[in-house]
Amino acid sequence: MTSIEAGALAPAPTQRKRPIGLLLVAVPVLLVLWLIIWPIISAVIQTLWLPAPDGGRTLSVSSYEFFVSDPYSRANLAITLWTTGVCAVLLLVICLPIALYLRFSNSKIAAYVQGLAIFPMFVPSIILSFAFIRVLGPNGTVDLLLNSVGLPKIKSPYLTPWGPVIGLVWDNIPLTVLILLSGLGNVSNQAIEAARDVGAGRFALLWHIILPRISNSILVAISFAVLGIFSAFTLPYVLGPAAPEMMGPFMQRTFRDLFDPTNAITQAVITFGFCIVFGLFYVRSVAKNRTP
Amino acid sequence: MSTTAVKIREPIDWTGIFFAVVLTLVIVAPLLVVGTWAFTNVWRFPSVIPQEFGLKFWYQTLARADVWSSITMSLTLATTVTVLSAVICLPAAYAFARLDFPGRDILFFSFLAGHAFPKFGLLVAIAGIFLQLNLIGTFWGVVLIQLVGTLLFMIWIPVAAFQSVDRRMEEAARDVGASPLRVFWSITLPQAGPTIAAAILLSFVGTFYETEGAWLIGAPQVRTLPVLMISFINNQPVIQYGAVLSVLLWVPSFIALLFARRVVNSGSFAKGFGA
Repeated sequence: MTSIEAGALAPAPTQRKRPIGLLLVAVPVLLVLWLIIWPIISAVIQTLWLPAPDGGRTLSVSSYEFFVSDPYSRANLAITLWTTGVCAVLLLVICLPIALYLRFSNSKIAAYVQGLAIFPMFVPSIILSFAFIRVLGPNGTVDLLLNSVGLPKIKSPYLTPWGPVIGLVWDNIPLTVLILLSGLGNVSNQAIEAARDVGAGRFALLWHIILPRISNSILVAISFAVLGIFSAFTLPYVLGPAAPEMMGPFMQRTFRDLFDPTNAITQAVITFGFCIVFGLFYVRSVAKNRTP
Repeated sequence: MSTTAVKIREPIDWTGIFFAVVLTLVIVAPLLVVGTWAFTNVWRFPSVIPQEFGLKFWYQTLARADVWSSITMSLTLATTVTVLSAVICLPAAYAFARLDFPGRDILFFSFLAGHAFPKFGLLVAIAGIFLQLNLIGTFWGVVLIQLVGTLLFMIWIPVAAFQSVDRRMEEAARDVGASPLRVFWSITLPQAGPTIAAAILLSFVGTFYETEGAWLIGAPQVRTLPVLMISFINNQPVIQYGAVLSVLLWVPSFIALLFARRVVNSGSFAKGFGA
């Protein structure tokens, strides 16, 4: 397959302005307008323009006031922020060393390590959830092995806040490693060798030479992870505690089980608010790679 | 070459061995456990290995009506979405690659809009629209929501494919009198084809595993294989059903793995994610 970035949207080669192009792109563009742009605008309007007691509608922030004043909603937001933060830190701590190793090693083992690091991309998160429960759940494989050597069982992370953390980190390893590795490609061997020649140690090398050059990739990796984790649904729903729950399961339950779309959409708008900086930064980076 | 060839032993790659061992334990071992459960007739605590291997639960799982109906549902959904997506996106991709029209750049980047927001929040906002249109709990509601998820890849990847086609060959064919359709069929498509096929495969597999939209919009009327798997995890005391279903569920991903590994390992793939 040709590279995605090879197809940067270069000026169309034939400089004939032909409106027929508009016709060909109309359906997907209208879908984006109808099912992405409009729902977002509508969500904001719908949650601020609420039914009034007199039968009409009036501008009101009461659904947001309810969210802020409701201790359960606040606890759900807090656990979501906690999970997202812990996952982001863990992902960096785990993936940066792997990416550094892959960048500077050319042993045969490196190919195997890269294959493994990318493998979770080909494991649907629902299978991951099942595997998690079988291994770390009550009487899972870890318990079996500990028991066979006479050690006590573990305190299972299943149905605790650590369940979604482990699952989400596992799930996000491949893209984080790939994005960091791509950033490390910009660090030239000459820069490393020059710093080594003047006696820079490993840590100084990392801190002064490598990290400044990949800071943008780190931000992209974190933005991508935050966008995915903040409103994650499947893993927190299956592996996490029933209460407090992360925003994903919380919105789903409010919408489908409590039949309360206004509050569910309010929660959605609140997640948009928390992620908007990461979202815009991420989209800008993708777009920048694509334009010439 | 030095005449006194001293055999230098390569230093042992301890870091690599460490990562290889840890990642094998953390990434491969859990999946092997699931695979083992699928071929186990009896495995009671605290035995470290199963008491009895066998295919008993394959027969039982495959005899369940809900498993077959959700396999059919998943395949029908993924096929419908992929075909619709190809029909609307490939002409659009061709237009973006080859034609000039007003608003071309902004429309091209509009497909990124969905990626600036946390996905499930966006799904809830869309569900709010679907509620007014009575699309909740319907097949076409799920088709629409999954279709939106395929747009970016189904346009951006084929655009790259069309742009990498050698224009000189097309022009040469025109010069010797080939019709535009003939040029497209004989020159453009064979060159762009493999990349477009990869995009279609990615769409199909991505849609097959799409769980969140299917669960939020479709459940319980529209039950796909991943949605059935969630209910097995939550409510099914027989572990092997879930294990067998996991193995079945992994098949499309395995096919994607065979085809896509080379693509994923290339640096350009990560660039597509903004690296």
